[in-house]
Amino acid sequence: MADVECRTERRNRPGTKTVEYYRWPEELFEEMDSTLAVQQYIQQLIRKDFTAIDEILKAPDSQDEGVWKYEHLRQFCMELNGIAVKLQNECHPESCTQMTATDQWIFLCAAHKTPKECPAIDYTRHTLDGAACLLNSNKYFPSRISIKESSVAKLGSVCRRVYRIFSHAYFHHRNLFDEFENETFLCRRFTEFVTKYNLMSKEILIVPIFEEVDTSGFIGHAAESEAYGRMEKLSEG
Amino acid sequence: MKIPESGTMEDGPNSAPHNGQLGPSGVGTSSSSVKVNNSDENNPRLQYSIPGILHFIQHEWARFEMERSQWEVERAELQARIAFLQGERKGQENLKNDLVRRIKMLEYALKQERAKYHKLKYGTELQQGDVKPPIFEDGIGGEPVDGESIFITNSNVNWRQGRQLLRQYLQEIGYTDTIIDVRSNRVRSLLGLNPAGTSEKEDQTGGSALNGGATGGTVGGTAGGSAVASSSPGDLSGNSKRLSETQGRRAPAKKVPPASLAEAMIMDTEAAVMANFDFLAQEGVGVEVDDEDDMSDEMEDNTDDDADDAASASNAATSKRNKIKAKNLRDDVDAETEEVLNEFSFLGSDTDDASHELRVQTDTTDWGFSGTSSGGVSRRSVIPAPVTGPAPAGIGAAGETAHLAGLAGLSSSDDEGVDGHLGLGELAQLTVNNEAEVSYDISVNKESFRKTWNAKYTLRSHFDGVRALAFHPVEPVLVTASEDCTLKLWNLQKTIPAKKSASLDVEPVYTFRGHTGPVLCLAMSSSGEQCFSGGLDGSLQCWNIPGSNIDPYDSYDPSVLSNSLLGHTDAVWGLSLHSQKLHLLSSSADGSVRLWNPQSKSPLLSVFTSESDGIPTSVDFVRDNLNQMVTSYNSAACILFDLETGQPVTRLETDKGVEDSVFGRQINRVISHPTLPLTITAHEDRHIRFYDNNTGKLAHAMVAHLDAVTCLAVDPNGLYLLSGSHDCSIRLWNLENKTCVQEITSHRKKFDESIFDVAFHPSKPFIASAGADALAKVFV
Repeated sequence: MADVECRTERRNRPGTKTVEYYRWPEELFEEMDSTLAVQQYIQQLIRKDFTAIDEILKAPDSQDEGVWKYEHLRQFCMELNGIAVKLQNECHPESCTQMTATDQWIFLCAAHKTPKECPAIDYTRHTLDGAACLLNSNKYFPSRISIKESSVAKLGSVCRRVYRIFSHAYFHHRNLFDEFENETFLCRRFTEFVTKYNLMSKEILIVPIFEEVDTSGFIGHAAESEAYGRMEKLSEG
Repeated sequence: MKIPESGTMEDGPNSAPHNGQLGPSGVGTSSSSVKVNNSDENNPRLQYSIPGILHFIQHEWARFEMERSQWEVERAELQARIAFLQGERKGQENLKNDLVRRIKMLEYALKQERAKYHKLKYGTELQQGDVKPPIFEDGIGGEPVDGESIFITNSNVNWRQGRQLLRQYLQEIGYTDTIIDVRSNRVRSLLGLNPAGTSEKEDQTGGSALNGGATGGTVGGTAGGSAVASSSPGDLSGNSKRLSETQGRRAPAKKVPPASLAEAMIMDTEAAVMANFDFLAQEGVGVEVDDEDDMSDEMEDNTDDDADDAASASNAATSKRNKIKAKNLRDDVDAETEEVLNEFSFLGSDTDDASHELRVQTDTTDWGFSGTSSGGVSRRSVIPAPVTGPAPAGIGAAGETAHLAGLAGLSSSDDEGVDGHLGLGELAQLTVNNEAEVSYDISVNKESFRKTWNAKYTLRSHFDGVRALAFHPVEPVLVTASEDCTLKLWNLQKTIPAKKSASLDVEPVYTFRGHTGPVLCLAMSSSGEQCFSGGLDGSLQCWNIPGSNIDPYDSYDPSVLSNSLLGHTDAVWGLSLHSQKLHLLSSSADGSVRLWNPQSKSPLLSVFTSESDGIPTSVDFVRDNLNQMVTSYNSAACILFDLETGQPVTRLETDKGVEDSVFGRQINRVISHPTLPLTITAHEDRHIRFYDNNTGKLAHAMVAHLDAVTCLAVDPNGLYLLSGSHDCSIRLWNLENKTCVQEITSHRKKFDESIFDVAFHPSKPFIASAGADALAKVFV
């Protein structure tokens, strides 16, 4: 809005149109004096071009790496809500009774006192809720400016768990996954992120996001789409 | 080697005398060993006769005893030193506490000032405010009386006897000497336990060390009257009392002058001090009149918290003493002792550790102890230098009684010294109590004030700014809506214990997922069963709120998202619910305001647009006329519509005064007063404005914040207004006189935004704020 531009007050005032939301002149990271500068900066980069993964993941000079990783993971968990909302409409407890990606593993939901075989949609919601609690925990992350090394170590397990949401969506709800991925590039960014900061081992990054789907994952893909078709029938019935 | 040789007994008689001679003379190890060697060379056989061995053993034993006594002396010295240092520490603590108390007093004064200010400014609340100060004044009125009366009665009774005694003593001895003597006594109190050299004396020394405090009590008691005897606690004090008495008895028998002299001097000083104290007491009274509350508080504390005093004294040694002191206190000699103690602490601070020895020596000469210890002179060389004072006296039998007398004197003087420390301890405790008292007052203050809100719950779980929040109508439950595309349900009764901070952390009991873009606004039904949220993507969702006690990790229930209201084509920024029927108003960046009946098959009831006025920013039902609604626009227009006809009824004169503003014309929020025909608007230009709904005229305008005002809420009774701003603060206003009651800095900035929403709980004393820092806070 004219107002915003002439005064360069970066605000989404009530009445702001969707297209104008967060549409304000970029602010240099060095000029951000807020305690939430890292989040601001990451979101600004994503809004600018969500496909420019390398740029988004490139930490500013002298940025504390723990905080950088933490804020990125917050952003991932936040954006994963989009895929969870989509899954709520498609991934039913009757069809996806377990959290699986390939047939190799059944993932147990860690949100409960004793890990439980939650249906995939519950696993997804619980994992995101649990991540929200952990990442906002006053005990482990009391500050968003400096983070203890012991708390940074917790980020890896959060990454591992939320990654299963990608893998489940990829292997069981491929259309949904592709649609979401095209809108956000989130799985690409996430894969790049955990690889760059060594938060997950390569072997468990099972979504072939950077490979040609037709070649490497062809058989698997066929099988998944079959399963997907079955589910469609179920949901229709 | 020795054993076989010692078997030869026949030669004993010869050697025995020899050794016997050696024995007495050879006190030191070196001399005796030398002798032994010599005898070995000269007459190896004679050397080891039984008597000789016995002698030797006796010698050795005597030597060990000597050494042991030396160690005892040293130990006593160090103990005295410890006592001294403890006393000093107490003194420091006392000083600190005094300062703290002073701070508290000032704080309190400030609070009263504020209360007065409130009284003057705010009519209604004032009544609460009014209630408060009176309570205080009552307390003030009562306390001084108590303090004074206790003070006077006790002091009168206890003093008179003491004073009589003291006067007698005073007549005997000059006053000026006393101060010096007291000083020396004080020093001696540091080393006063030295004399306990021999094993016989050990008990005594132990006793006197222990007695330090107890006898201190007795001295204090005699000064203050007979009270102490009855008050001295438990067997310890009993023993000590007896001991001191026996000492006192013995002392007069053998060495009347020194003992009585010592006592006399002490009494003198006390008397002098008391004379001073009289003076001070008067002053104190005067002070009381001046600073009624403070002084009286203190006095109150003294009397009230005696028991506490005793209990709170924690150090093993000092606690005993303190108890005694506390008892004394109950007899209300405290005031005097305080003064005395002050004096003594003064003196104590003068005496330096380094100068111990010197002073001790001078003391002894002063007191003539060196003379009395003649019996032990021969042994003096044995005893290490620092103990040169009265210590030697203890060993010789002749010097023993003399020494006892000295000891009695010393112990009493010692007591005084200890007293000084004790007094400090007392003082420290007194101030501690004061602290407690003051803090209590403050809490009382808060309770009766009930106007200061404090952050109690921090709601952290959102990943991005919290745009809106709404309370449940009855339960301590609220829902928050965030830019992270979720809504969360919070039960304030389900808290997790937070470390250190006073605020409690709450974890959400449910996360509403349905929006794919930031959630901008929120409204909760008056039943508390449903809530509605509007998103940046133009969606409007209706939710069935799950029970507030559900398991956060229960399985997904799709029925929570009941339905979506379709119609808006751009971000939905404002929502308002009819208070009686389930009708919903929504304002959107698409330029329209829509009225919905969410339960109906065709929920959209009507659409209101006013293209010339721009984009609606906020909407509310007119609460005193539910057939109308009020809408604010980003053009600074604000219009009342008739819901039936869809026509504008009144156009509030919001354009005036806003036009010239450089801050922008935007109205960020409009709300309707719950009972009056009054509309309140929050402006980007930092103002809050009040309009009469009937005339549309401006009723009041005020610069309310340092930055854009973003949100408003009126309490259910219509007496208070809550506003939030991008200046990071929320402010509570009294609606009657439009003055700010409280300001709370609540949230941090993200970009140039800080606080998005505020709310009152409809039926409970909660207020809440939601911020761009992804937190929501609840205040009580």
